[in-house]
Amino acid sequence: MLIWLVLIPLIAAVLIGLCKAPARPTALLSATLTLALGIWAMVSYDCCTDCWSSIHGMDLQLTLGNALSKVMLLLTILVTFATVLGTNAPKGAEASWYNSALLISAGATGAFLSDNIISFFAFHELALIPTFVMIGLYGRGDRRTTAWRVTLYLGLASMVLLTALLMVGSQAGYSFSSIADYVKSGQQIQNAELIGCLLLVGFGTLISLFPFHSWAAPAYASAPTPVAMMHAGVLKKFGLYGLFMFQPMLNSAFLPWNEILLVLLVCNVIFVGYVTVNQKRLDLMLGNSSVMHMGYIFLAFAALVAAGNPEANAWAIKGGALLMLAHGLSIALLFLLCGQVEKQTGTLEINSLGGLGTKLPRMAFVFGLAGMASVGLPGLANFPGEFMVFFSGFAGSKACFGPVQIATVCCLWGLVIGAVYMLRAYRNIFQGDLSKASDYATELAPHERAANYFLVLTLVVFGFCPQLVLQFFTF
Amino acid sequence: MEAYIPEFILAGLAMLLLLAETFCKKAPKYIFGLIGAVGALSMLSFYMSDLYQNIYIILALVSTAITLLLAVDYRSIINLSSNDSKSEDGTGEFYILPLLACTGITALCKAENLVELFVSLEVLTLSSFVMVGYFRRNLGSTEAGIKYLILGAVSTGFLVFGLAWYFGLTGSFTYDSTVISGILSGSLAAPMYFALAMLLLGTAFKVGACPMQLWIPDVYQGAPTPVTGFLSVASKVAGFALLSIILTPFADVCIVKFTIALMAAATLLIGNLGAIPQTNLKRLMGYSSIAQAGFILPLFIGKVDGTLAPNAPYYLAIYMLMTFGAFFALSLIRVQRGSEAIEAFNGLGKTNPRLALAITVMFASLAGVPLTAGFFAKMFSFIHVIETGLFEAWLLPIMIICAGAGFYYYFKVIRAMYWEQPSDDAVAIKVPAVTGVVLTILTIAIVMAGILPLFMAPIQ
Repeated sequence: MLIWLVLIPLIAAVLIGLCKAPARPTALLSATLTLALGIWAMVSYDCCTDCWSSIHGMDLQLTLGNALSKVMLLLTILVTFATVLGTNAPKGAEASWYNSALLISAGATGAFLSDNIISFFAFHELALIPTFVMIGLYGRGDRRTTAWRVTLYLGLASMVLLTALLMVGSQAGYSFSSIADYVKSGQQIQNAELIGCLLLVGFGTLISLFPFHSWAAPAYASAPTPVAMMHAGVLKKFGLYGLFMFQPMLNSAFLPWNEILLVLLVCNVIFVGYVTVNQKRLDLMLGNSSVMHMGYIFLAFAALVAAGNPEANAWAIKGGALLMLAHGLSIALLFLLCGQVEKQTGTLEINSLGGLGTKLPRMAFVFGLAGMASVGLPGLANFPGEFMVFFSGFAGSKACFGPVQIATVCCLWGLVIGAVYMLRAYRNIFQGDLSKASDYATELAPHERAANYFLVLTLVVFGFCPQLVLQFFTF
Repeated sequence: MEAYIPEFILAGLAMLLLLAETFCKKAPKYIFGLIGAVGALSMLSFYMSDLYQNIYIILALVSTAITLLLAVDYRSIINLSSNDSKSEDGTGEFYILPLLACTGITALCKAENLVELFVSLEVLTLSSFVMVGYFRRNLGSTEAGIKYLILGAVSTGFLVFGLAWYFGLTGSFTYDSTVISGILSGSLAAPMYFALAMLLLGTAFKVGACPMQLWIPDVYQGAPTPVTGFLSVASKVAGFALLSIILTPFADVCIVKFTIALMAAATLLIGNLGAIPQTNLKRLMGYSSIAQAGFILPLFIGKVDGTLAPNAPYYLAIYMLMTFGAFFALSLIRVQRGSEAIEAFNGLGKTNPRLALAITVMFASLAGVPLTAGFFAKMFSFIHVIETGLFEAWLLPIMIICAGAGFYYYFKVIRAMYWEQPSDDAVAIKVPAVTGVVLTILTIAIVMAGILPLFMAPIQ
């Protein structure tokens, strides 16, 4: 049954692409179906594991057994639904527009549900292809250079990652469960330190860890709205998901690199944070802010590695998972709004916008909420996530002020930096005198507003009841 | 003698077709291609009972059949080489020579002593010489023919020299592992290694491996497209069959493993780095063929469960599917847009979306994108290097970098199809029946072979 979560978007994509089915209704139907099926799966999976997992005679080794898989599935189906609902395809590009969202969704779902590490890798690559193609076809600015850079960065990162996966797999079997069994039986994984390094570099590049991050901001800035939403919101979490999945089995592989990782993640937060403050365009600002926020989730990972196993520092994995979900939702919403601002005003230069709030008060409200979520204000989903991540930096540590704690304190300043750029962008775009560009704006279409409200609602719900997500974790 | 019955039938079929060409002047010549393809495919019935033992032969037969089908749809260009471009005079042999070459390959795969081996190899090589230089009015083809002839002769020289040394050392033409291991442990080990080195050089020419890869880009670019397809697949299959015969007795020797690893690394670097700046797709496919050989060679390092390179035929089979797919596309573009440059693919995504999708699958598979067959092929090569643990430290990084480089140059074609605008006078490509059917089958096979392993036999 779980396979249908992957197959429905794929079938819809084939219908749209090859059979010329009407693009928007088909995509919307597929997104709604996966949303319903996904929520049903999450609720009922633990009651009847076999009914969901098995397909007679075939075995893709899909599973929802891990709490992290459930969180990521939730993120994927929510963002996919909002993407399909809220974006407007340019004329003549409907098929590729909706297909890109559906294919990324199918690939991401497959990756998050795979127990087999080869499928895990393969599905992620499937999701990357539409990213390249769409940036090259419909991107903003110097789209071809950007698309090439993304292709090469991520292609090479994938190869590094694949090597690491094969090195683990050739010793312990090619699935997460068999690797866990292998380690549980007391056997040692050879070359662990090298594997840890390769995994950090491979996954790190996909997540845009400093200094492998320079592809990310231009790519998100250039990408068409559905790709930016799906990639920044969902697909980028693939790397973090992979690191969190491997951590219990390969902790000793990551441990030697932890202090270097701490330095890099602080660079992500502080250095990229300053870069973000300096951006003049909304799309580049959002792209950089997304890179910056990855630093927090890396902090949760580093705290987890320092603690040893997930039970020893339960804050870390729970906070990391919640923050991945919250960041995915908030950045998807921000990119959706960014696309709407561009469509309404024809520009994304922050300085040539202004006073948009008087023309579009509802959108200003939504943007305000999304910005506050991104900054981490209470009541929205990012707050409990960031709160728990910072707590995890201190929880479970034996040393009173070790490297993890220093990094945590440095990262706390990221909140201030985030507030600076987000509030400034809000002020310049929505407040002040009405600019020439803003004067063109007209009210958003109903489906656009619906998608905005949908994402805001999810942010508020998870902000007030993080327990909805945290209940998946059994410790 | 009985073992060679299929070869007699195939060679006989070729002779019959030659006679028929003389006497049936009215018949369109491409009929010979279709008959030849059917003939080659029907030979498969001799080998189906022992699939794995005969895998190289099967690959050779299938690739010959596909070559002939490719030639059928390439006939408008082939006809240009006749005296009068409207007639088909003198083009009949073009459809018949691949059959003879194929006879050489299949005979080579079952050769029991070195003389048989050499004679069958020469049958292949001599037919290839003619095929490469077939377009005698075309400068490129003539140049390619000469280059192939000269370099081929040099490599044959190495091979014969190696055989002579082997004969001198053992006094026998039978290639026997016990005799060889006896010599290797005695005082004559050094001459034996020398003989092996010569044999390897001769083989490297066929495989397209460093240091004998120099001929490939020029000859591939100059030769008629179906012949290029034949050289890059069937001839390479012959090369790897030869390599597995020659290498089997030596496979566990340390220095030999090291040499193969070194050859693989050099081949990978030359093929992939050379492919990056190419703008002519046929030349690019030449470098790609070197690069892919570089990914197959690591499979020959050491034995797995007592057999040498059990996964090499798998890689070759997948290589055959995707390379022929690429050549079908290339010949289609050459016939209808008159160019072999990557630019000729511009805007194909707009004018022929389905064809563009098929070509995308081919090149994605060549690059090794997951969910296509090429991914698993490359993956097995990686796994082999990791599992044997030999030379992992330097061979693996080179393989990673080269696989990454592959994304760059194979994606050039995909980029041209989707990102570039078609030129103003570009018309939609008409896909002829044979090409359409074969491309569809190849595309489906590649996608299936890329997805099914995930379902059917999850990699354990």
